Amino acid sequence: MIEQLKSFIDYLSTPTISFTILTISFPFLFPPTDWFDKINRKFGLWRVWTNSGGVLLFFLTTAFFYLGFNDENFSIILNKPDNFPIIMMIYTMFFYTWYGMKKSYINDRRISKGKKPNEYHDPDDKVLVWPDLVYIEFIALLLFTVFLIVWSILVAAPLEEPANPSVTPNPSKAPWYFLGLQEMLVYYDPWLAGVLFPTLIILGMCAIPYIDINKKGDGYYSFKERRVGYFIFMYGWLVLWVYLIIIGTFFRGPNWNFYGPFEWWDPHKLEVLNNINLSEYFWVIMLNQPLPTNIFLRESIGFIITGLYLFVLPVVLAQTYLKNMLKEYGPVRYVFLMILGLSMLSLPIKMYLRWFFNLKYIIGIPEYFFNI
Amino acid sequence: MDYKNDERYWNINLLNKWFAISSILFLVSIMWMFYHDNDDEFKTYQKDYRKLEAQIAQTKLLEELDKVSSERDIYEESYNEAKLLFDSNYDILDSLNETLVKAKGVFYKSNMDYLFFKAESDQKKYLYETEIVESHHDDHSSKDYHKPKDYKYKDEYELSLIKLNNLKLIKENDEKNVLDIESKIKILRSDLKIEEDKLNKYLKQVTLLETKVQKLDRSKMTITNQIGDIVRDLPILDFLDPYYKVNQIVANDVKYDVNFASVPTVDRCTSCHLGIDNPDFKDAPQPFTAHPRLDLYVSSSSQHSMDQFGCTSCHAGRARGTTFVSSSHTPGSAEQEEEWKEKYDWEKIHHWLQPMLPTKYTQASCFNCHQSQPIVDGGDKLAMGLGLITASGCNNCHHIETYQKEHNAGPPLTHLDQKLDKEWVSKWIKNPQSFRHNTWMPHFFEQENNSSPEMIRRNNSEIYAMTEYFYPNGNHTMNNSSEFIGDYESGEKLFNAVGCMGCHQVKNEKEDLIFDDLPYELYMSKFGYESEEMTRYELLKNQGPNLIGVGSKSDAEWIYNWIKNPSDYYPGTRMPDFRLTHQESADITAYLLTLKNEEFNKLPPSYYDQEEMQNIAQGWLVKAFPEEEAIDKLKSMSEDEVMHYVGTKSINYYGCYTCHAIDGFEDAKPIGAELTYEGSKPLNTLDFGHIHFIGHNNYSWFEQKLANPRIFDRDKIVAPEDKSRMPNFYFKPEEIEAITTAILGFNNLKYSPNMIIENLVDDKNVFKGYSLIQQYNCQGCHIIENFGGQIADIIGKPEYSPPNLNTQGVKTKPDWLFSFFKNPSIIRPNLQVRMPSFTMFNDDDWNSVIRAFQHLENHTLSFETIHKIDKNTIEFKAADKLHEFGACNNCHFYGEVKPTQGPETWAPNLALTKERLRHDWVIEWLRNPQEIMPGTKMPAPYLPTSDLLSADGAVEIWGKYLVELNGDNDLMLKGLTDYIYTIPGKIDISDYVREYFRVNGYDFDSDDEEDEDDWDDDW
Repeated sequence: MIEQLKSFIDYLSTPTISFTILTISFPFLFPPTDWFDKINRKFGLWRVWTNSGGVLLFFLTTAFFYLGFNDENFSIILNKPDNFPIIMMIYTMFFYTWYGMKKSYINDRRISKGKKPNEYHDPDDKVLVWPDLVYIEFIALLLFTVFLIVWSILVAAPLEEPANPSVTPNPSKAPWYFLGLQEMLVYYDPWLAGVLFPTLIILGMCAIPYIDINKKGDGYYSFKERRVGYFIFMYGWLVLWVYLIIIGTFFRGPNWNFYGPFEWWDPHKLEVLNNINLSEYFWVIMLNQPLPTNIFLRESIGFIITGLYLFVLPVVLAQTYLKNMLKEYGPVRYVFLMILGLSMLSLPIKMYLRWFFNLKYIIGIPEYFFNI
Repeated sequence: MDYKNDERYWNINLLNKWFAISSILFLVSIMWMFYHDNDDEFKTYQKDYRKLEAQIAQTKLLEELDKVSSERDIYEESYNEAKLLFDSNYDILDSLNETLVKAKGVFYKSNMDYLFFKAESDQKKYLYETEIVESHHDDHSSKDYHKPKDYKYKDEYELSLIKLNNLKLIKENDEKNVLDIESKIKILRSDLKIEEDKLNKYLKQVTLLETKVQKLDRSKMTITNQIGDIVRDLPILDFLDPYYKVNQIVANDVKYDVNFASVPTVDRCTSCHLGIDNPDFKDAPQPFTAHPRLDLYVSSSSQHSMDQFGCTSCHAGRARGTTFVSSSHTPGSAEQEEEWKEKYDWEKIHHWLQPMLPTKYTQASCFNCHQSQPIVDGGDKLAMGLGLITASGCNNCHHIETYQKEHNAGPPLTHLDQKLDKEWVSKWIKNPQSFRHNTWMPHFFEQENNSSPEMIRRNNSEIYAMTEYFYPNGNHTMNNSSEFIGDYESGEKLFNAVGCMGCHQVKNEKEDLIFDDLPYELYMSKFGYESEEMTRYELLKNQGPNLIGVGSKSDAEWIYNWIKNPSDYYPGTRMPDFRLTHQESADITAYLLTLKNEEFNKLPPSYYDQEEMQNIAQGWLVKAFPEEEAIDKLKSMSEDEVMHYVGTKSINYYGCYTCHAIDGFEDAKPIGAELTYEGSKPLNTLDFGHIHFIGHNNYSWFEQKLANPRIFDRDKIVAPEDKSRMPNFYFKPEEIEAITTAILGFNNLKYSPNMIIENLVDDKNVFKGYSLIQQYNCQGCHIIENFGGQIADIIGKPEYSPPNLNTQGVKTKPDWLFSFFKNPSIIRPNLQVRMPSFTMFNDDDWNSVIRAFQHLENHTLSFETIHKIDKNTIEFKAADKLHEFGACNNCHFYGEVKPTQGPETWAPNLALTKERLRHDWVIEWLRNPQEIMPGTKMPAPYLPTSDLLSADGAVEIWGKYLVELNGDNDLMLKGLTDYIYTIPGKIDISDYVREYFRVNGYDFDSDDEEDEDDWDDDW
């Protein structure tokens, strides 16, 4: 029974399946439109954000780890001192997401009844520095120091052997907070996954206050009043970042192969990875002819698709589906939003292309280190 | 909640409580941190050690007290008497002391007056001098220079000098007073002092031990010392001078390589291994046990002192670790691992690249510095491992830069048609152990990964093709003509006596191995194992093949020619020439032909299988060419060509040519992986395959590979051309352990040049000499460096065995030794065993061997002044008499003058001495023959003592010259040696001795019946 459950969880954890489940269920949990909201209400998914939902979430997570610590394979991974922060991160991430959503839902209900949100009664954003702020900060500082001391006593620092360029560890893993980035490297050229995307993430986060013109939800928790923004951010944060860190930590083993949580990290495991460029799909498989020697001709189909995605799609959207948005946001905001949004969207798109079509690069010009 | 701006936002009482709780938690965590920081594992050990040390000191103290108990009273009594006498003068002493105090007071005052006034007087001197200098300032060249002038301070200074002198006299007077009184007191005390000193001297050890016990045992300390003893180890204060602290040795010559820099190792092992250099702790429990070989290691007087070598240079491990686990101890067995897990929570430190060597493999480290001379005291297991590597030919297939192949491990296969027939060869290749259970030739077939019916069929064809390849000129025809076959009985005697057994044995006994606790899986031989436990000594007997079954192997003609002159058939052979005559060779051949192996004769040879031959050829061709081309090529080949092709490929595949010379493979490269740095190979480069029951560390892998070379193919799908093919040598566990030790020694650890033995010896030929002594198995017959001489076990008596070569380096003259090696002559007339001619040695080789012998004795000279005998010295004249008493001619030849006793005690020709032996050595030899050659029949010559020589009538008995020497041993021995050096006669008496034994035979030896044979040889 337990073994079947474990192999079922292993099966579910496969990136294709778990990512798909997460992506599909995400709008139902964080409904961005009325339709999703209706389904959410119908199935009572909102109950996740109540106390009992929180307890259930806590219980499920704990049960998973309980199962994990009692499993001979997963416990090896979980017991690594390096992975301790990730376990803490999972709990804190769930807790704060749940806590924020819970408060939002309470406020949403109040607002729909015509009441003011809970935080309205807070003292106009002002408390006394001394004693109110400094005192609690000091207490927090003490408790956190206690936590750090106890941690450092109980768990020895995970030091390794002196670095040796000719003997690298397998798998070679980045520090835990970069594992999401490292996971992106599976799907994108290092220039994109390692340089462009991190830059865009930082710039995008800086740009949020300037792009977001929704004045509601200012100073209080609310989901309904800013559900699209909430949905997009949470998808980027939870699925495209935290989930990838969890994958990178627990599910990536020797040779960066994927392993289910309860699976033995067998170094001999071999997976077929016949990745293929779009140009090869087009020229070799579809047209049954050799690749053109001219690089631009060879990659023309990739250029066309990328051009369509980056330059034509926003224009089409502006004319049709997002007509109102363009009006409200104005062209500059709209353009920035599109650049950031389409880049973000390109990650799941590329992941699926890789999983289902073994697509390596849409544009692949290794001659000039330009690969998309 | 109603908010009022003048109130606090939080409930301050609640916050206070929170603050209190968090502060307490904080304090507790800080205290925990302190406790954790100071609760070091090594401190527990140091506390235990202190107790143990106190105990030992206490025991020693009691012993010492016991020792002094008898006479202590006497000393104490006389001390007490003196004390009583001293005390009776108490009044005088008291008044003297009183006067002394007063006198000292007076002296103090007068001394102070003197010193103070001296300061004033000095100042006046300065002022006066300044005045003089200034008055001359302007008239350097004038004539007035020496003219007296008036000086203001002149008188003042001179007056002060007078006063100073007065004060000095007073001071000196007072001082003398003090000294007088003091000496009076001293005289009063002197008797007591003498007795006190005597007592203290007698009780010196006791006092020392008492102090030691007081320092170690807190309960025997004073209260203040007890408090101090506690305080010095308190946290924070313990930076000053703690009792419990990390001990460390910084070994500058041993580097730890951190890839981008190498730093001196810092060994902290002695933090817990506290008794390591203390012989008192020989039987103490771990971790306090003393090192078992303090004469060689650790102690400051040994060659490997702890200060220079540290600990990890040999033992490896994490030098800076101060706990059992963090220092990376490695268990030697699964049981030990369990025990450690239980006892110390032991776990493997995965990230430490050089875990400690298990105790059984520590000798691997000897090789790091001793690779030029790997056979060293304390390195027996390593030496055996290296010996096995040479004998089995590991370094034929596997290149080892630091331990290179010197000879092919097997004989040449270039003219097999002179020696063996095809049938025998094919059966032998298929299973050498079926012919000779303990042969060095390993077993390639019928192994774990090639025992399936398909593989057996394939191997049969491979063997057939290889055999055909070895016979380009057709099969061998047996020639057992009677001209090569002599007398069987005398052949057996000769075989046992002449020296064959120095390297060979004829031994049928074998046994099956039974093990149930091996940490690895052994793929056993079906034909049994050598029954003796393999040791370095046992290895000496296996230099050449065990000769069982040799009569079923070859024919009379070949055996005869081989033993008559081995280099004829195989110019590179290590088998020396025994200068056998025709008759001797024929006799030995007759004996060897009787050693048959009938069971082997009945085994079926491999057969020709055309289809399989084609398959194999196609398999190889497809590997090299595209498939269609390969098949075309195959079709174009004749049957013979296919077979030749398969033969070539198979020889290539199995690497036969690495151990045997084979025509057509002169330049082929060895097939095995290089082992030069095998001991340092990262673990992930050792392919464990699907084998998980062995330990995940390098030595477990080596052990398993040696125990079953094909095991890592298990559960793998591998094409026949890619299967692992290391053959099975059917090593026994002790051999596996020894070879693993050697492999672990092949590593890339770096030591500073002044630790490498090669840099410590100027003449590098020495190492070549040692190597030759190993390669040619000199120790099979001779004891060298207290090891070897196994042939004596067969001969039975050491006096009829080849000589012990102890002190050889200072014994003979190098030029004589050289000519002896080149052309051995008879030295010991009654020995049947003969020194063979190593005709394959060139001058350089012999020089190296001589150098090695000299190096063993720290002697380096090749040329020395010829010793001049002065026949006019008293000692020379006295020696005549000594020689008479010594009766040297009982046993020794004087040229061709036969000894007076029978041949059983015959000893070297004394006329040869001046040519052969070094003068210094002969003196030492005469002084004590047993020390130089234990078990020798040579008695020390009788030397009269001075008592005898001064007795009445001594001159009549001893002669006037001996009496004159008056029992001076050195002079008597020198005289005797000089005398021996003047003994005339023929130097080489080989012919005479040979003739004697030809006529009389060796009937004196009860074990050996008379031999009728003609001993017409030159041995």
